[in-house]
Amino acid sequence: MKKSYDVIVIGSGVVGSSIAYHLSESKSKEILTIDKDFPLSGTSGSTQAWVWVHNKTPAWYGELNMYSAELYPFLERKIGDVEYKRTGGIAPFFSESDRENALRLAEKQAEVGIKVEVLSRDEVLEKEPALSHNIAGATYSNIDGNVNPFRLIELYVRAARKNGAEFSFYNQVIDISKENGMFKVTTQDGEYFSNQLVLAGGPWSKSMGKLLGVDVPIKQVRGQIIVTEPLSPLLTHTIGGMRQADNGEVLVGYSKEEVGYDRRSTLDIIQDTARMAIDFVPALEKANVVRCFSGIRVMPEDGFPILGEIPGIENGYIAAMHSGITLSPLVGTLMTELLVDGETSIDLERYSLKRFNTIQSIG
Amino acid sequence: MRTDLLIVGGGPAGLNAAYKAASYGLKTIIVDKWFSLGGQLRQQTQSYDHLPQHFAKLRGYKLADFLIDRLKPLDVTILEKHTLIGAYSDGSVGVTNEKDILPIDAKNVLITTGAMEEPDIFPGWTLPGVMTAGAAQILINRERVLPGKQALILGSNEFALEVAAQLHDCGIAIKGIVENRSELLCQNEKLIARISNAEIPIVLNGVIESAIGKGKVEEAYVNHNGNNALYDVDLICVAKGITPILEPFEVMNCDLIYRERLGGWLPEYYGNFETTNPSIYVAGNAAGITNMGGILLTGEIAAISAVESLNAASTVQIKEEKEYLWNELYRIEYNSVLEARLDVINELHNEKDAQLPPLVDSLNGRLING
Repeated sequence: MKKSYDVIVIGSGVVGSSIAYHLSESKSKEILTIDKDFPLSGTSGSTQAWVWVHNKTPAWYGELNMYSAELYPFLERKIGDVEYKRTGGIAPFFSESDRENALRLAEKQAEVGIKVEVLSRDEVLEKEPALSHNIAGATYSNIDGNVNPFRLIELYVRAARKNGAEFSFYNQVIDISKENGMFKVTTQDGEYFSNQLVLAGGPWSKSMGKLLGVDVPIKQVRGQIIVTEPLSPLLTHTIGGMRQADNGEVLVGYSKEEVGYDRRSTLDIIQDTARMAIDFVPALEKANVVRCFSGIRVMPEDGFPILGEIPGIENGYIAAMHSGITLSPLVGTLMTELLVDGETSIDLERYSLKRFNTIQSIG
Repeated sequence: MRTDLLIVGGGPAGLNAAYKAASYGLKTIIVDKWFSLGGQLRQQTQSYDHLPQHFAKLRGYKLADFLIDRLKPLDVTILEKHTLIGAYSDGSVGVTNEKDILPIDAKNVLITTGAMEEPDIFPGWTLPGVMTAGAAQILINRERVLPGKQALILGSNEFALEVAAQLHDCGIAIKGIVENRSELLCQNEKLIARISNAEIPIVLNGVIESAIGKGKVEEAYVNHNGNNALYDVDLICVAKGITPILEPFEVMNCDLIYRERLGGWLPEYYGNFETTNPSIYVAGNAAGITNMGGILLTGEIAAISAVESLNAASTVQIKEEKEYLWNELYRIEYNSVLEARLDVINELHNEKDAQLPPLVDSLNGRLING
């Protein structure tokens, strides 16, 4: 392995791998991506992997998600079949009073071009007969879907490698400093230098930021997911909280807990999740749960992506966000524009780390 | 449900621990996922030679009966067909009968879930007729079903030879014991003599290249010193050793450690057999693969630790119990196993800066000085 690169990306989850891939497309940069484990061993491998747009608010944030979802069909043509399926998304509500909010959501999202329908109970049940008759209605959009995260990240990495990008796995970054205008990244396996540096550490972004003397205001949020035995086709849409995978397993998850980097499953949450699943889809009462897993989600303090230059660190960039699966095609594209041309086709100002105002410059 | 001690796994380690704990008045629950207790002892027809002094020499299944029967007058609740499936955030443990989930609030939990057999993978290994030696033993001794007529045994540890001899006694022709090393792993002379008297061929430096057949094993290719030989067999028993079962320790958030001599990955534990999760103990093969004496004794040591934590016996009693049990372990357990076990214990005490129990410390010295 070489010692000096144009760009070092730290983190090979869905965000880091996408950035590495999109940067590699022009084959003009020498790129190294470093990960302390192996792709999919962390957050990106422990998700329901929705490509989800329709009820993300405010509308400008929904718009960002929509652009990214729209890129998936093109991405598949470039890197291969990632099992992207635009199933349509249903977010049920249980009381009539929620209908007002639903209508307001549809109105707001329409302003940026996201088509959201507000369905009556009968309309929902026609689309998805397995849903409970207790629901009052749902918001629906055909833009939502899901993807196979294992294929997605593997193919990002494979395509990037084909373009000459290098990857170093099981190699923890210990220190980052600047020497003669270049970043010096000290890892378990040695030192590497680069002109540009991208932090894409997901739930580890905070500790990575510290290496640069920068506060990255993100929280680690645990989501516990249960997986049923393979069932005959039951659900055709991606539904708030659950989806049925190709092999028939139904994945369900609703929980959000701030417990640090603790990936255990707890029976309390598993039982709550199972009960909620039955509230949504009564037929699941008879299904056996065969396994469960937890993922540590990345949650910026205000919920919105942190994207762009790191204030005070010349040639230092960051990409840390929730919804990395949905956003990865767009984030890879925009970060590439930023690193190569210094400007982006979508203004990233509102996503800048600057908005938190807690930045300390490197010493 | 509330209890002083919850024991997960009703094999020899768990049963023996239950007896000791309940004898000191601890309210004890045993959960076991099968419909009867005894664990792997159920199908062991051989007698065990190296048992602790307080045990008579018994055949395996008789030993199971003995361990179960003597719990009857004690305060021990037995939940068969119950499986540990998780932990609640308040620390109580969830067990299920596949219908309901029962939370158990236990002051101490002892996990004695034992070990599982390691597979060996070769082309055709999924054909019916390829099974672990343990599975073949269940078929002949418990289900009274002959698993085949002509067999190959893959592996040469003590268990492999024991099962080969038992299958032979049932009238199955053992065509060979195939071992990829240049010598037998089993060091039990009596057992080796039995194999040799039964005229069972031993194929050293050999590997099974493939098993072939339509819908079941009909033949197998064995590569022996570079030459392929075709064996006419309908049964292949894989006996490549056993490894501790880890899922319960993952559920209970216990730290794990790797020790080849103890069977691979296992939970880390202190000199009182407590894991890194306070009040969660381990014993038996789950605490490192050992012999029957080691399985029984570690169960008892862990039980005494639970008794001690609840002040259910006098300091003198506990000291005496521990001294006896550790000395018996020193006498009975293979040196290399005990050494590896003490190494695990030493390392954890070092890491956590916890004082080593004097007894364990003195064993360190005795092992070094022979």
